[in-house]
Amino acid sequence: MSIEDFLVRQLGLAKDLVENRISTIFLNGCCVDHIETAVIEDGSVLALSAALPGLAGASLRRGGYYACLRESITRSEEIFNGRMHEGVIVVKLFNLLIGELGPVFLKKGIIMFRSDIAAFFRGCNQDFWNQVESAHLEDRSVVSSILAGEDIYRGAESILISVCEPGDRE
Amino acid sequence: MENILRIKMGEEGGPKITVEPIGQYAGLGGRALTSAIVSKEVPPDCHPLSEDNKVVIAPGLLSGSAAAMSGRISVGCKSPLTGGIKESNSGGQPSQVLARLGYAAIVLEGKPESDDLYMIFINKDGVKIVVDNSLRMLGNYETVEKMKQKFGDKISCISIGPAGEMRLAAASIAFTDMELRPARHAGRGGPGAVMGSKNIKIIVLDDTGLPMRQPKDQEKFKEANRIFVEGLRKHGVTGEALPAYGTNVLTNILNEAGAYPTYNFKQGTFAGASKISGETEAALETERGGVATHGCHRGCVIRCSGIYNDKDGHFVSKQPEYETVWAHGADCGIDDMDKIAMLDFLDDNYGLDTIEMGVTIGVAMEGGLLKFGDADGAINLIHEVGKGSPLGRIIGSGAAVTGKAFGVEKIPVVKGQAIPAYDPRGVKGLGVTYATSPMGADHTAGYATATNILKVGGFVDPLIPQGQVELSRNLQIATAAIDSTGMCLFIAFAILDQPETFQALIDLLNSFTGLSLTADGVAEYGKKILTMERDFNMRAGFTKEQDRLPAFFRKQRLAPHNVVFDVPDAELDQVFNW
Repeated sequence: MSIEDFLVRQLGLAKDLVENRISTIFLNGCCVDHIETAVIEDGSVLALSAALPGLAGASLRRGGYYACLRESITRSEEIFNGRMHEGVIVVKLFNLLIGELGPVFLKKGIIMFRSDIAAFFRGCNQDFWNQVESAHLEDRSVVSSILAGEDIYRGAESILISVCEPGDRE
Repeated sequence: MENILRIKMGEEGGPKITVEPIGQYAGLGGRALTSAIVSKEVPPDCHPLSEDNKVVIAPGLLSGSAAAMSGRISVGCKSPLTGGIKESNSGGQPSQVLARLGYAAIVLEGKPESDDLYMIFINKDGVKIVVDNSLRMLGNYETVEKMKQKFGDKISCISIGPAGEMRLAAASIAFTDMELRPARHAGRGGPGAVMGSKNIKIIVLDDTGLPMRQPKDQEKFKEANRIFVEGLRKHGVTGEALPAYGTNVLTNILNEAGAYPTYNFKQGTFAGASKISGETEAALETERGGVATHGCHRGCVIRCSGIYNDKDGHFVSKQPEYETVWAHGADCGIDDMDKIAMLDFLDDNYGLDTIEMGVTIGVAMEGGLLKFGDADGAINLIHEVGKGSPLGRIIGSGAAVTGKAFGVEKIPVVKGQAIPAYDPRGVKGLGVTYATSPMGADHTAGYATATNILKVGGFVDPLIPQGQVELSRNLQIATAAIDSTGMCLFIAFAILDQPETFQALIDLLNSFTGLSLTADGVAEYGKKILTMERDFNMRAGFTKEQDRLPAFFRKQRLAPHNVVFDVPDAELDQVFNW
């Protein structure tokens, strides 16, 4: 699917937000100028950023005036055939978009490696745990503190985790 | 700002102070003024540390006024690092204070015969210069602390550390910030060495009792300033990204782009980038009771700086900027933010350019002096510079000298000055500016991204590769003009995207000075500055052969994109054809 399909149709982000807020996009390390034709495939790495300072920041900007300054790392023009396939991609959110898009991804669900997810929960402070109302593992209610142990994820290399707001699970 | 203060250090009977009208230099400020004086008064073939060289310290045209963001100050001289003309600029308080004291520039000239060290004090009553050998080889922080005890905390200071006293080619000149910390530096090109060659340790400024500089047209100025500030606040870069994360917001992105020079420009990505990114840095600062959003001078509305504390909440340094974090971080394979902040502090205290020092240590690592990633070894090397050991003097002389001393082929410098944090193989347009700027490799030389509004050199199609030379030319012209206003270069993003903000900048200049500048006039101003600078360099013996990147950028491919710098020399030679 195209990056535009992913952001607008799959994630449900407003087109205006995608146009104006996500100003810098990399697909597999290459700068993207045209999100409607840049194709995401299984295994792709997509990085999203808000506007950046510096001439470098201006150069990396999507379709920006200074795009030619970095033409050697620009993703070549593609023709999107409209076909869709299932797949897993890595999404990186940078700077202001961490706070703005993070909740969208967490609600949809993200996949984490077993070791990463346990390490993440081990690093969370009491303020974090105080805000956790309940935890569910494969639809079973669990004591939230056990999420920090790797043992409970045994048998799975990666885990889909989603974060719900109060009332979402009803 | 009607006067130029000259301090002649080599006069019989001791230093002589003269104050003269600005005269032939009227209408010039900041970089335009420093480059005009150096170009006209310094013999291009002189030794940079000789009596013939001069240090020119000039606030911008709008400095000392109520104009937002007008606190940049320019330092000019013949550079001991590049051998060419140098303008290096800094934030901090002194620009505003010096302008309110009425000086368009301080010119330090001549050379004393004795080795006495001098302190200069300037206030509304005049200028005093006294011998103060108790300051010898003190760090910038201790030097300023002594001045604070002597004159109180309403002062601002311009000083050099031990590196400047030792006349090392990477020595900076420090400018104090709002908290009276010597944390802002004119670092590039070694101006601290030239100040050191004049035996001047510190200039203390006190504008107590002096009013803000007043515009010619108060109403128009006030309105223009309002629109200008509004434009900065509403823009995504100046109003959000920079205040939240500082310039280091670029780390993750340049790394993602594969243009983040790592292990002495060996590759374009660094595995430890996220540990030293602006996002991580800001979170650490907040968590430890520091500050992630902080201005370097009064009147700054972008506030891209911060305060970096250690784990126990004690001050380590001001927020290390992107270039510093990269130079001491990825370029040396170091991913420990605490160590990088310590290196930043040591550079500031000993009075060293952080970019030059980081790149130099990367070159030393390539030469086998220490291993990539050895953060404690890097800290020890900066201490060696501060002590003035033979090894420290080599390191403090910069990347080119260090590369020769350790038999390194891959030395990332242009005109002897270390290349900053954007690999020119990935962002070739920046490579054009690195190669051709009269200043040597300088990421800020072509920074003012307002060329589409200025339309300097005619309209350029940015989507064709051949546009890179034209864009670099136009960027350098626009930057030279902004460097002369005293305005922080970060305003460039707002004026790029918002024509009304650019117009507000011109209105600010016109209502303040009484001039009738247009966008075309601003472009001509920029060209005039670059022409003076190029002319000086040509008279100093520079040819087109100096307008080149080191050969390895054309030969060694940069992973992960496997690209080389391939802009033809013939195109580089067209940059200044206007």
